[in-house]
Amino acid sequence: MADFPWLSKFPKMDRSTLLEIRKYLDGTFRDFSREYGDLIESFFDPLLDFLIWFEKLLVQSPWWAVLLSITALVYLASRSWKLSLGVVVSFLLIGYFGMWEDTMRTLSIITVCTLLAIVLGVPIGILMARSNRTQAVVTPILDVMQTMPAFVYLIPVVMLLGIGKVPGVIAVVIYAIPPVIRLTNLGIRLVDKEVLEAATAYGANPMQRLMGVQLPLASPTIMAGINQTIMMALGMVVIASMIGVKGLGQPVLKSITNQYFTLGLFNGLAIVALAIIFDRASQAYAKRSQKHMQGGHND
Amino acid sequence: MKSIILIGGILLCSVAHQAIAEEQCGKVTIADMNWSSASLIANVDRFILEHGYGCEAELIPGDTMPTSTSMVEKGEPDIAPEIWSNSVKELIERGVSDKRLAIAGLSLSDGGEEGFWVPQYMVDKDPSLKTIEGIIAKVKTFEHPEDPDRGAFYGCPAGWGCQLSAENLYQALKLSDAGFDLIDPGSGAGLSGSIARAYEREKPWFGYYWAPTAVLGKYKMTKVDFGSGIDADHFRDCIAKVECAEPKVTMYPSALVQTVTTTVFAEKSTREFEYLGKRSLTNTQMNGLLAWMEDNQADGNIAAEYFLMNHEATWLKWVPADVATKVKAAIEAL
Repeated sequence: MADFPWLSKFPKMDRSTLLEIRKYLDGTFRDFSREYGDLIESFFDPLLDFLIWFEKLLVQSPWWAVLLSITALVYLASRSWKLSLGVVVSFLLIGYFGMWEDTMRTLSIITVCTLLAIVLGVPIGILMARSNRTQAVVTPILDVMQTMPAFVYLIPVVMLLGIGKVPGVIAVVIYAIPPVIRLTNLGIRLVDKEVLEAATAYGANPMQRLMGVQLPLASPTIMAGINQTIMMALGMVVIASMIGVKGLGQPVLKSITNQYFTLGLFNGLAIVALAIIFDRASQAYAKRSQKHMQGGHND
Repeated sequence: MKSIILIGGILLCSVAHQAIAEEQCGKVTIADMNWSSASLIANVDRFILEHGYGCEAELIPGDTMPTSTSMVEKGEPDIAPEIWSNSVKELIERGVSDKRLAIAGLSLSDGGEEGFWVPQYMVDKDPSLKTIEGIIAKVKTFEHPEDPDRGAFYGCPAGWGCQLSAENLYQALKLSDAGFDLIDPGSGAGLSGSIARAYEREKPWFGYYWAPTAVLGKYKMTKVDFGSGIDADHFRDCIAKVECAEPKVTMYPSALVQTVTTTVFAEKSTREFEYLGKRSLTNTQMNGLLAWMEDNQADGNIAAEYFLMNHEATWLKWVPADVATKVKAAIEAL
């Protein structure tokens, strides 16, 4: 055995070589952030301006105006009095327990994150569904995005962009976008080949097939993806607050470190309430539009 | 007859067991905190307790708050090698008065250094930034990431003990009126990331930090002078507390950085407890070690080996001669 130490012990890389590699990569990243940091930051400036504007809109408008417009939006989407009443009650409770401002901040950033995730995610999912090669490339990337511990990429992002909203949005979107991409892809791939053939036979071009056949038929699956994306985005609120995003995450963090269990629970419940409202409204909207579609088929 | 033999056997066993227990210290758990200096000390403790005292030492990852709570409530882990007592003051005081925690000694003999800092390169360009008046006069330099009209003051992360002191001093110094917004970095990593970002691009930065840390070892910073001196009593009674009606300006007194153990451990393992009481580093020593760790990207384990190999004179003072021989033998075997 003595002649073959690698049999009993894993022949690992020399520590000094490993150190060289680590230092080299860290140094390269540092040079990169020094060189291009300002440029990348200015690229995200419009997003930052929008985030600030939207947050100010929600925080500074009178609470009843915000509540009224949220309820109106939910009602328009769902046409359900029950849900709208639930929204009013939960927001009144949130306000009464002194979490209005934090909730508005979280609401604003999560709305932007969800919209971004959908706007970016659905097209990527469509591309994936169209080509197996794209799917083979994108799938492992999605795996990395979902499993890589957030802090591994958060701190480099902080070094590039500083702490605050933009890195927070990036972190949330990275974590929350995979479900909508995966399920859009899946939904389109599950559309019946014969239906597509029929559409082609009627002379539909690829765009018409996509918009008129594939997307509507895939929409239940896509909506399930959007639902998961919303849930995951809200789940990331606490992680985002660890890089200085204001909102419900901060009191949660504070209560974790100080063991104020009740404070943690209240803020946690406010996050849950937001998630449920987002989800029920979007699902009800989807169901309504699908019912419309299905009605056309059946009757 | 059988039962007599059995009882005799049990008695013998327990006697033998006691004898072993007196000779060996048994299983010891040490909290390996998630920052460099504490991890270094924890690894040094593990090495010395394992090889010098024959303990079965085990490191348990931790952070100040969960570790100290678990020590008070559950009696685990046995040793927390570096607790910044200010940050969990009430918990530690309660633990000591309830006889659940014992304070072995100081891990950093000079105590921790807290304050508001600006990067060295800014002071080199404009020496007036060494004082708080200079900083207030140049509020526009410290650009706020989200509001061009305000300046940014990076405070202490939400929930940390220093959040109270930083916020109270922010009020006492009237930084809000001066145009500074208090930014909550959210986490230690967020705060150090914001320093790294500023430093790599030589941008302005102004905020709370503490030493000895790898960050301040790596990025040279200047502590801002409030021109007030230290009012330790006022700091303890008001600045460090939630209810501080009239915060007055004071510099940070040096912070107690202690080694804390459970009472059970302190009573059971007197020899080891004595070692922990003596084991202490000065800030200069710690800064040097942290700089070495940073240069070599070393973790606590490797840094502890480096320390034991190269700073023999320091650790020889902590242990009796017989233990020292055993530790030396173990180091040579590395």
